[in-house]
Amino acid sequence: MTKRILLMPKRGVAWIRKHRLGTAALVLVLVATTPHTGNGQFLDPCCAMLAAGLTTISNTLSNVVGGGLHSILSVEQSISHFEQQVVWPQALISQARALVGQLQGTFNQIQALSQIPVNSATLPGSQQLEQNLLSRNPNQIAQTTAAYNAVYGTVPGETDASAQVRDLVDMTDAAAQAAMKRAIEIDSLADLELQAAGQITASVEEAAPGSAPILEAQADAWLIRANAYTQAATADLLRLRAVDLADSSAELKIGASSTANLRQGLINLLQHN
Amino acid sequence: MHFAVYIGYVVWLSLCSSLVMNFRSRRHIVVAALAAVLVVTLVSPPAAPAQGSLITAVQAVLNVINGVIQAALQAIASVRAAVGAFYQSVAWPVELIAQARVEVLQMMNRYRHLMAGILNINLKSATLPAPQALENLMRDHQINNFRGLRQAFTNAYRAIPPAADASPEDRAMADMDDALALDNLETLKATDSATDLELQAADSMENAAAQAAPGSAPFLTAAATASSIRSQALTQKMLAAELRQEAAKMAHGNELRKRGATFTLQLRGVLINLLQHN
Repeated sequence: MTKRILLMPKRGVAWIRKHRLGTAALVLVLVATTPHTGNGQFLDPCCAMLAAGLTTISNTLSNVVGGGLHSILSVEQSISHFEQQVVWPQALISQARALVGQLQGTFNQIQALSQIPVNSATLPGSQQLEQNLLSRNPNQIAQTTAAYNAVYGTVPGETDASAQVRDLVDMTDAAAQAAMKRAIEIDSLADLELQAAGQITASVEEAAPGSAPILEAQADAWLIRANAYTQAATADLLRLRAVDLADSSAELKIGASSTANLRQGLINLLQHN
Repeated sequence: MHFAVYIGYVVWLSLCSSLVMNFRSRRHIVVAALAAVLVVTLVSPPAAPAQGSLITAVQAVLNVINGVIQAALQAIASVRAAVGAFYQSVAWPVELIAQARVEVLQMMNRYRHLMAGILNINLKSATLPAPQALENLMRDHQINNFRGLRQAFTNAYRAIPPAADASPEDRAMADMDDALALDNLETLKATDSATDLELQAADSMENAAAQAAPGSAPFLTAAATASSIRSQALTQKMLAAELRQEAAKMAHGNELRKRGATFTLQLRGVLINLLQHN
């Protein structure tokens, strides 16, 4: 056995000499196709550097990015807390909405109060005029003149009064009728304003803090409109009083004219006697 | 993975050895050896990158994190901090919010009872029973006693004369005058009641304002503005009533003027006839 083992190198050398070309080709293939050695995960310097780099990146991300984001988060949390506790506290918002709901009930009572019937006339002519004046219906304005004339009469005919008196009577009737018609208009407008105010209040009850100012702006616009209607009514009242004042002045003028005529008539009468 | 590669290599080498040893021709041996080398060269993995480029890449990433990203995060944090500080010190400073609430409370305490007291001073002055009853009913802010008001009005101002005692024109005018006067007295009772409700609403809103937050105050201001519209509407209704009343007063005077003109003409005719007869 030992002898056979000792003869193996000699036989191998002999075999190589015999197959020189094949052996050379095998050596060539062996050298050329030997697998590349892989880089170890622990001992290889490249992997160690890669691991160190990744660790550095991880630490940097944690410190720089994570720290920065944490800082932003804490500021955002602080702002959010402030907004929820001080600026827009949900409890106070709900409380304000509830109050608006309660006020809506109060305002409905006010609206009902403004529409209580107050008719009091007892005679047919005055009843008709009163009904017209309290109708709050602009479509009834066309009937105002007829109802007015039924109670207060018409302008006297040319044979029944002087031109001066007829002018005065017509102007006064016109001012009085216009004021009555304006009163019907104002009543109707006031009803619509009450309706609009009710709608706005209902919207406010459902609003958010960000949308409530929009409704407030709309309510402000309606308030301006309401002020304008109040001014229109006040203007008509002033007009009526101006006509009344002119009326008093005209009475003085007519009185003076009548006195002069009477004086002249008496003089003529005495001269004839 | 690496074990599989080495196993594959041993198999590959055995295959090549058997091929090379079985070829008798030198040409075949050379061709087979070159083909094997060529195949392995084509399918072998690419070379690993150099160590220097890896360090550069890591350093580049670190530079981005420490440079652009860190600066951006610091800028965002500082802007948000500034916004927070602005909210708390300029837009909604807690101290000023609390101060405003205290001021609302102080004004409530200072003015509310004082003004209510002024408005509720007794204005009644009538001395006789009938006017006293009418005055009480006119000013009681109630809307459920209109019948009593009308009776008290009639007691104080008397009823429309019967047809036998006055001309139709006088009766119609008196009825119209009384009707408008009563209408307005009733309207004023309703308006007084509405005014009471408005004052209650104003008190409620002021109470809420004393506890409000900046985010809840817009609800109160919007409701208050809507209430102002209602107040204007009620004022307009009173103006309309005043217009009716003034117009009726003028129409009354004008009707007397119409009749005066007619009477004057009739008197003139009578006088002329009288003088002509004499």
